[in-house]
Amino acid sequence: MKYSKSLLSTWEIHHRPRIAILQRAGGGNPFNNLEKSTVLQEARTFNDTPINPRKCGQILTKLLYVINQGEAIGSLEATEAFFAMTKLFQSKDPILRRLVYLGIKEMSKIAQDVIIVTSSLMKDMTGKEEQFRGPAIRALCSITDTSMLQSIERHMKQAIVDKVPAVSSAALVSSLHLSKNSQEVVKRWVNEAQEAVNSDNIMVQYHALGLLYHIRRSDKLAVTKLVSKFSKHTLKSPYAYCLLIRIATKLIEEENAGSGTPMFDFIESCLRHKSEMVIYEAAQAIVQLKNTTAKDLAPAVSVLQLFCSSPKPTLRFAAVRTLNKVAMKHPAAVTACNLDLENLITDVNRSIATLAITTLLKTGNESSVDRLMKQISSFMSEISDEFKIVVVQAIRALCAKFPRKHNVLMTFLASMLRDEGGFEYKKEIVDCIIATIEENPEAKEAGLAHLCEFIEDCEHTVLATKILHLLGREGPRTPTPSKYIRFIYNRVILENAAVRAAAVSAIAKFGAHCEELLNSCVVLLERCQMDTDDEVRDRSTFYVNVLKQQQKALSSAYILNGLQVSVVGLERALHQYTLEPSEAPFDMKSVPLATQPLVEQKVREAPGGLGETPSKVSADKAAATRQDLYQEQLAAIPELANLGNLFKSSAPVEITESETEYYVQCIKHMFRNYIVFQFDCTNTLDDQVLERVTVDMEAGEGFEVVKQVACASLPYNKPGSTYTLMRLPEEPTSVTGTFPCTLKFVVRDCDPTTGEPDDEGYEDEYVLEDVEVTVADHVQKVLKANFAASWEEVGPENELEDTYALATVNTLEDAIKNITQYLGLQPCERSDKVPEGKSSHTLYLSGIFRGGHDALVRAKLALDSSGVTMQLTVRSTDPSVSEILATAIA
Amino acid sequence: MGFFDTLAQWLGVKKREVNVLVVGLDNSGKSTIINHFKPNDAKNHDIVPTVGFNVERFKSKSLAFTAFDMSGQGRYRNLWEHYYRECHGIIFVIDSSDKLRMVVAKDELDALLQHPDLKNRRIPILFFANKMDLRESVSSVKCSSLMGLENLRDKPWHICASNAVTGEGLSEGVDWLTDQIKDLIVSRKK
Ligand SMILES: Nc1nc2c(ncn2[C@@H]2O[C@H](COP(=O)(O)OP(=O)(O)OP(=O)(O)O)[C@@H](O)[C@H]2O)c(=O)[nH]1
Ligand SMILES: [Mg+2]
Repeated sequence: MKYSKSLLSTWEIHHRPRIAILQRAGGGNPFNNLEKSTVLQEARTFNDTPINPRKCGQILTKLLYVINQGEAIGSLEATEAFFAMTKLFQSKDPILRRLVYLGIKEMSKIAQDVIIVTSSLMKDMTGKEEQFRGPAIRALCSITDTSMLQSIERHMKQAIVDKVPAVSSAALVSSLHLSKNSQEVVKRWVNEAQEAVNSDNIMVQYHALGLLYHIRRSDKLAVTKLVSKFSKHTLKSPYAYCLLIRIATKLIEEENAGSGTPMFDFIESCLRHKSEMVIYEAAQAIVQLKNTTAKDLAPAVSVLQLFCSSPKPTLRFAAVRTLNKVAMKHPAAVTACNLDLENLITDVNRSIATLAITTLLKTGNESSVDRLMKQISSFMSEISDEFKIVVVQAIRALCAKFPRKHNVLMTFLASMLRDEGGFEYKKEIVDCIIATIEENPEAKEAGLAHLCEFIEDCEHTVLATKILHLLGREGPRTPTPSKYIRFIYNRVILENAAVRAAAVSAIAKFGAHCEELLNSCVVLLERCQMDTDDEVRDRSTFYVNVLKQQQKALSSAYILNGLQVSVVGLERALHQYTLEPSEAPFDMKSVPLATQPLVEQKVREAPGGLGETPSKVSADKAAATRQDLYQEQLAAIPELANLGNLFKSSAPVEITESETEYYVQCIKHMFRNYIVFQFDCTNTLDDQVLERVTVDMEAGEGFEVVKQVACASLPYNKPGSTYTLMRLPEEPTSVTGTFPCTLKFVVRDCDPTTGEPDDEGYEDEYVLEDVEVTVADHVQKVLKANFAASWEEVGPENELEDTYALATVNTLEDAIKNITQYLGLQPCERSDKVPEGKSSHTLYLSGIFRGGHDALVRAKLALDSSGVTMQLTVRSTDPSVSEILATAIA
Repeated sequence: MGFFDTLAQWLGVKKREVNVLVVGLDNSGKSTIINHFKPNDAKNHDIVPTVGFNVERFKSKSLAFTAFDMSGQGRYRNLWEHYYRECHGIIFVIDSSDKLRMVVAKDELDALLQHPDLKNRRIPILFFANKMDLRESVSSVKCSSLMGLENLRDKPWHICASNAVTGEGLSEGVDWLTDQIKDLIVSRKK
């Protein structure tokens, strides 16, 4: 909901100063050392009669401050404070009343029975006191849920078209928030919103346009109409223009369109608007678009270029920031501004200077690197961490672009590491060094040396453990592994427990990988068995015992490559095991694997958001827990409860065309002997309710449909799921298939005015696209940090080998991409990257096949005039798996 | 308006402020009663069922009342108790034409009287047997026996038949309540 947030923040800009003023009174921050319990205690003063507005105002401010600091307040204490606060409605003091509104909003989600203030707020929102009306509306909407909304609907409609701008804006913005949960009701206010767009007030017009868009956002045609309508009839508000530009941009992106469309023409025309804000918004929209030609770009870039020499620092900043962002995508266009950027290098505003230099770094040639780096080091100490991070990011790009410059850049990074700076900044540097090491083997030794030096004096546990982990992985494979051991062992002596434990793991890796170091590593680890911390003791004891066995396979499985199960899954499986005592030993294979985070798929933007910066939603985190969630969800369905552990869930695949009556996507959940097909369906017809929804699948080739779990009811726009359970064939090597699908359901038509469904329904069906099950569906990606060790560990017992000519691909990169995708395995040792100019390459892939069998693939690729030749070698702990993988390509 | 009132106003002496809690079942006429006491320009012409509560102010001959007009709907009745502790008097409104729900009203009254915040206080309770104009309405005497008021011995109480629409009977009740609260304040001061 990025977009509604930005609306919210405009509100906060208007209203925060009040709190700021209250804070400033008395010098310093009087709220610095507030104690939550004391403040809650003080809040009881609200119950006293008569009310002392000044005193209560101060206490309420404190309470708001504590809540805003993120202190968790329990429901019981929050409710007590809330009810005490309701008594402040006795006072007519305007400042106190407005603080009460804020208090209601802040506590609406933590206290209970907050609807108690409904009538009081309704009275204020319709009352004579103008300055109460807007805030009362906002507070009222924050305590109102869908069931109560009906009772205030009439007042909301009136407020939207109120002639007082503050009231109208408040109602519009609140409607936007309400529509999150009560889309249907808010939709009915579209006429009022339409009227408000014609307001003379620039804020009201902006907010009204926002609401209109929000109401129609899922209907692309309506949104298109909205843009074309308002782009013709001129809006007064520059804010509204900016919003319209963002909507238009989103439409262009969604349709993968480019210039020549009316949307683009509209944005282009905004470059000639009289407001600088609108001009900038249009320029930055154009340069950020995916499909733009140099010709489309030119007018936008020249606007930005003009801004670069504006006397207003904000404009210079905005322009150079945008140029910085697109420097990598459109180097040529940005180089056109080089002269202007050079002028900004010495800008008195250091933020502008930094952005200018880093932009030049990104677009410049190798020869300018030294000069610019020197320039920037002259004021590194003057800029804030945030901009230092921009510098590091520019260096990171440079390292990738000019591998030969790694010496200059690494030295620069090392000196930055030594300087003062916060965690985020240091983390960015460390990440940059690590990325450079991984991409450029020549930079490896220097990079590791800098990092070793850094951990000697590093206050951030997270970074120290990260570096130790890297040293454990990369150090043993350098020409002189022994020199790293001293740095690592120093950590064992000097650091906190978490770092010591990481150091112990790193030492063990040297012992496992380098035979000549084995004995000394064991000695060091034995010393760690005396540690005061149990984690450190446990790890060292474990490693000493494994190392002393001197078995390659053991070392590979338990030290070099480690466990690859999902921690949540392991915990659940162990718990289950302790609940049902059994003679059999615990089976590690029964534990679900840790899913490889989908790092390639960087989330570009949260769907629906209109913000310009990519969302910070961490893709890794979502992917790591997605499977655990599915497991839980499926286990909760009685028909599907006893299938064992969920092995893998595929990404959702759409099996309807977009913008049809029903929208269905399919997720394949693999179990040891079954597949559960989960169909997430959305009914996009507002005049129908579907019931008893199932998906019929035509099985075949040994596959057998065993059960269907229907979705009881599918009302308009409320997604629901139905499941089809299929048994896998007896024959272990037949694992793939294509299954035609049909959606079956009972339709009940709805009365167009009341929305009530008819009593009688009729059966109907809807043909879906086929669902395919591929080899990759049976495979879970598992990264082997040390592939060679695993290759040895699995051994040649079930090895299969064959040679193929790949006629349809012309580059090694394409071959690698296809094979990896097809087999669904994880590339190891960064072997998915082909060094420049090479005509032969070896790809290492690893993973686990359904049933818990290791699957390793080595693909030797050679490029010649006829295409790519591949020698594929498969190793697995199970013969059928080798066969499946070896024949998958053919 | 007596001489002392004017003198007091002239001297800038404010009236003593007290809180009263207005409770009773939904639709009994609480908001209408309070509305009657408000000055003409502040009167509300469109009274809708209360959700939660409303704070209203009005004056009697010697006190300034702050009334918490509570919602009488079932789901909100358990919220009355949050306001018991601070009130100086209670106005309990009964719809005297709603014989069917008189028992419900009695239940709510009993619960109120048993509440720890009120149980041991000699807090005055004014009952309005409201909607006396309606044909089905019962007399205030009948009403007080249906409500079991004869058993209410530890608190001063009074019942008036009223018509909130015309205002009949309302002043009598509030005068009684004013005297009671004043007595209480005076006796506490002693
Ligand atoms: N005939 C008649 N109607 C009355 C009288 N008092 C109130 N009413 C009507 O009764 C209805 C309910 O009155 P309200 O004042 O809203 O009742 P309430 O007790 O505040 O109700 P809640 O806020 O839901 O608890 C309104 O339509 C009033 O006009 C009365 O004395 N006689
Ligand atoms: Mg009421």
